[in-house]
Amino acid sequence: MPAEVKTSKKRKQDEQHDTAPGVFSKAVNMEMLSDEEGSEGEESDGQEVDEFPEIDANSDEESDFEDEDEEDEEDEDEESESEADDEDLLHVFPKAKTVVSDITGQPKRVYPEIEPEYDSDSSTEDAPNRVGNVPMHWYDDMPHVGYDMDGKRVLRPARGDELDRFLETVEDPSAWTSAFDKNTQSDKPLTTEELDLIRRLHAGENPDADYDPYEPTTEWFTGKGKEEIMPLSAAPEPKRRWVPSKWEKKKVMKIVRAIRQGRILPSKPKASAQPQFYAIWSEPSSSHPPPLPAPKTALPTNAESYNPPEEYLLNEEERKKWEETDPEDRDRDFIPQKYSSLRLVPGYDRFIKERFNRQLDLYMAPRVQRVKLNIDPESLIPKLPSPSSLKPFPTYKSLRFPHSARARCIAISPDGAWVVSGDENGIVSLWELSVGKEIRRWKFDGKVGSLEWCPRTDATFFVVGTEEALHFIIPPYLPPAIYQLTQTLLAPSTLPPTADASSPVKWSTAPTNTWTDDTPLLSIHLPTTSGLPIQIAWHRRGDYLATVSSGGGVWIHQMSRRHSQAPFKKVRGKVQMVLFHPMKPHFFVATQQYVRLYNLSEQKLLKTLTPGIKWISSLDVHPSGDHLIVGGYDRKLCWFDLELSDKPYKILRYHSRAIRSLHFHPTYPLFASSSDDGSIQIFHARVYSDLMTDPLIVPLKILRGHEITQGLGVLQVRWSNKHPWLVSSGADGVVNVWCN
Amino acid sequence: MASSSTGPSIPIVFSTQTPYPLPSQKFMLPASWKRYHLSQLINKALSLAKPVPFDFIVKGEILRTSLAEWCAENGVGEEETLEVEYIESVMPPQKMSDLPHEDWVSSVSCHLPGYFFTASYDGYIRAFDYSQKQAFTAQIHSASITSMCFIPSNDEEESTHLIATSSHDLSAQISRVTVASDPSKTSRSKVLASLHLHTGPVSSVASHPSGSHLLTSSWDSLIGLWDTSIPSSDEVPEPSITDRERKKRRKLNGGEKDADKLKRKAPLMVLKSHTARVSRVIYGKESSANSAYSCGFDSTVRIWDVENGLCSHTITASEKPFLDIALAADGNTALAASTDRTITMYDVRESSRSTTISSGSLLHPATPSCIAPGTTAHQIVSGAYDGIVRLWDLRSQKSAMTTFKAWEGKKKVLSVDWKRGMVAVGGEGGLEVWKAVEDVRS
Repeated sequence: MPAEVKTSKKRKQDEQHDTAPGVFSKAVNMEMLSDEEGSEGEESDGQEVDEFPEIDANSDEESDFEDEDEEDEEDEDEESESEADDEDLLHVFPKAKTVVSDITGQPKRVYPEIEPEYDSDSSTEDAPNRVGNVPMHWYDDMPHVGYDMDGKRVLRPARGDELDRFLETVEDPSAWTSAFDKNTQSDKPLTTEELDLIRRLHAGENPDADYDPYEPTTEWFTGKGKEEIMPLSAAPEPKRRWVPSKWEKKKVMKIVRAIRQGRILPSKPKASAQPQFYAIWSEPSSSHPPPLPAPKTALPTNAESYNPPEEYLLNEEERKKWEETDPEDRDRDFIPQKYSSLRLVPGYDRFIKERFNRQLDLYMAPRVQRVKLNIDPESLIPKLPSPSSLKPFPTYKSLRFPHSARARCIAISPDGAWVVSGDENGIVSLWELSVGKEIRRWKFDGKVGSLEWCPRTDATFFVVGTEEALHFIIPPYLPPAIYQLTQTLLAPSTLPPTADASSPVKWSTAPTNTWTDDTPLLSIHLPTTSGLPIQIAWHRRGDYLATVSSGGGVWIHQMSRRHSQAPFKKVRGKVQMVLFHPMKPHFFVATQQYVRLYNLSEQKLLKTLTPGIKWISSLDVHPSGDHLIVGGYDRKLCWFDLELSDKPYKILRYHSRAIRSLHFHPTYPLFASSSDDGSIQIFHARVYSDLMTDPLIVPLKILRGHEITQGLGVLQVRWSNKHPWLVSSGADGVVNVWCN
Repeated sequence: MASSSTGPSIPIVFSTQTPYPLPSQKFMLPASWKRYHLSQLINKALSLAKPVPFDFIVKGEILRTSLAEWCAENGVGEEETLEVEYIESVMPPQKMSDLPHEDWVSSVSCHLPGYFFTASYDGYIRAFDYSQKQAFTAQIHSASITSMCFIPSNDEEESTHLIATSSHDLSAQISRVTVASDPSKTSRSKVLASLHLHTGPVSSVASHPSGSHLLTSSWDSLIGLWDTSIPSSDEVPEPSITDRERKKRRKLNGGEKDADKLKRKAPLMVLKSHTARVSRVIYGKESSANSAYSCGFDSTVRIWDVENGLCSHTITASEKPFLDIALAADGNTALAASTDRTITMYDVRESSRSTTISSGSLLHPATPSCIAPGTTAHQIVSGAYDGIVRLWDLRSQKSAMTTFKAWEGKKKVLSVDWKRGMVAVGGEGGLEVWKAVEDVRS
């Protein structure tokens, strides 16, 4: 059996070490080999143990002798040579002689005896200076360098200057092998031994010239004739040395049996060092916050006392009720009992249940501490300049202009002096902005859906949109030049040729003899089913105007050619509003959910903006043309940077009801939004020409003053061109002027 | 003199500009005293025959509470000596008459003794005598009249006056008005000349104190200077008008003879400096009659050298579109009403023109639309869009001396005039006359 063999061999090896500690026998090596092979029997082992390697002592000795003889001869030669050269040479290391020992008969090395008188330190023998081992710089300022044996001063030998020394080195061939002797304060030539010593030290060799690092080993107990044949002890070899161990066998067999029966798994997976259970509440962890405090058990109350006051005891009704309710619905999971003394209290039958509940509580308790964010809400609010630094903006209601019905639309003249407002009774009033005095009034059939003043400065008129028609009206009190031009613009003496007679839009000019200031000079009759024009948008040059009808039809009318066209053959969704771009030949069309930007000259779609509003109610474009605000019936106001993205740059939700109207101030950095909640909100909106700087939007002021009638609030807001004044029309039939 | 009543007393030094001076002496007065006690004190101290009520101004604020309350409000210790200025009280104004108009009244004038003149948005000029009877009415303009002024003349007979009016129809007119003193005669009016310069509605017209020149301001940012002589023929050619207009014009003139036809006048000079609408132009007082003052929507008050037609000084405010300007009675202070609900005072004397800082402002709760000076240099009256007329003492700028409300409801006041103890208030509700004695002595 291999295990047995192994152990026995090991033991033998140990024994061998014990018996012959200094000998590295071949047998050991062989045994190690056999150990690796592991196939040899016990007999061979025993043979090897018995055998002892023969030691050829004689040959070794002979060779030793020869070697030493040769060395001796060489030494002698060297000695003779050195003696011949210089007898006074100092021997740094005394030379050894090899003699045959009388006792052992073996050759041995004998060193010359040290004679204390002369040989001990020959270097001091003729030193005249006996000052001793003192620092010689003590004599630096003296004429002498010490004292001789007789106490006489030893005078400092003459020493040349640097030049002499240099010449000396040139002239004297032995100068480079001499060294300065401090004791005599003079140069002294080094001896051959000393030079050799220096050379050896320099070469990193052993300084002793006689040292042989490769001396042959001296075999004391090995070799021919030196074998130690007799054992140290005469005791016979114990039996256990070669008989296999019974107890070991038994033990091994027990293990083997256990393995066979499966009691011991040879390759059992190691149990993890980590204990499976650990105190979750007590163990502090380095990476986690400190352990949570375990949920505390509720302290016992009076009802849990063994002798509670009477009022805690349940009466019959309460007990019955307690028993009827489900255990989880009971407000108390025990019945208070009264005992006259603690001695009478029975064993606690709910102990297990209570411990289980406690464990359940601990188990179910939240392990994560909810991190409470201590953030100052003020710090989250973006830093905005204070509204008072952004003056002027409208702050109060200056004027109030009443209408008899819902005032749906207003328009302010380009010079900012006049306001026209239209209501649902068909009345259009022209009044002075700064005073609020009605100057002129026009009456139309049906509602007035939209009003817009022509942006031209050389001609002054405004357009009123009523049911399926647009009326062009000249206000009174115009300078003659402007009046003439306006008249010729609206009613040219020679009509341009009608491009398409079958066009559904009819332009009709009032005949000059019947026309008065109270009637429109020019009317455009839209197709009969188009409905009320809800919006009129002028191009900035005042030649084109676009109208949106309540039926969703979009028409673009050209004043100079007296021609109307529908720019879109088919529109996806109902058009809410249209706008001309203030700079480029672009056209914004807002349908129910999207704002599309068309290039009119190239007749293609440029962009589709998705505000994320369910139903767009209004939009306005910044005077720079790069920014757009879109308001919706779902109270959202989206700011678009047209250069930036199709998605809103900012979404403002300040109104509590649907947004009705938006307007950018033409010159001041302001915009206003009006809503069905009856309020108007004024925002500061500064747009930077630097593309990297985001527009600054600051809510400034909420203007309240319109009443909500039939769920409708402020229907339209418009800015005065030159002043930060706002005009708003409400469903309550009032047009208000807000001043700074 | 200090009463022996209990409670703390306050050291007070009185000063005044009234003809009732007290010796400059420190009085220890009980802190519980109010205006009435102080007024009594002064009356007794001076032993006036007829009691004169006084008002007291402490640090630019009129005293309405007791001295102790005032000190507590303003954080003044009781040890401090208070300097109190006293002025004659203004009696609470009393309503004298209410004269409703068909249209809004844009301008009122008490210039003519015995009559109130009103100019209305319907183009009419009306005159009422003190017995509230309408003495005169005539349509001068076909469009709204924005402003009206009398042109003083010496050689005319008593009942005939020259009136200049400005209108929305881009022109101003000079009319001769004869008001009949007794009911047997009929009042007549005749438009003598129309002034043609402006291309926007004319906002105001003002006459030189001597009656020789007129100034008109307009929305087109121009100010026109005119003389009041009536030319024999048109200085400005009539615009080429269409047949329809000519017909209308003929109908309006009623086939008058050419000599009686109104003459079209051209301006002597155009004062150009404003950059936006000029809301009002006025002449200086008699001492500096060659200067004019104008204010406009460009937030400036300009002082003009009328002889040379130059703007001699410009006061620039920030974001204050001005609606009206008036000079205080001494002519040293200009008051300009702006849409930011303030009336701002500017010192317009030659010496202080280097600084354009306002010397104070009167805050209003609504847009102030008109200002009229009183006869003393400290008193003005202002009307606002909330229908309230306020009497101010410029020494007490924090609150008005007294206020009264014209008309029921919220009707705008568009014009005020204050002469001979009567405040004429014109506006949305017509004309109202209130009695407000500006000077107790008179």
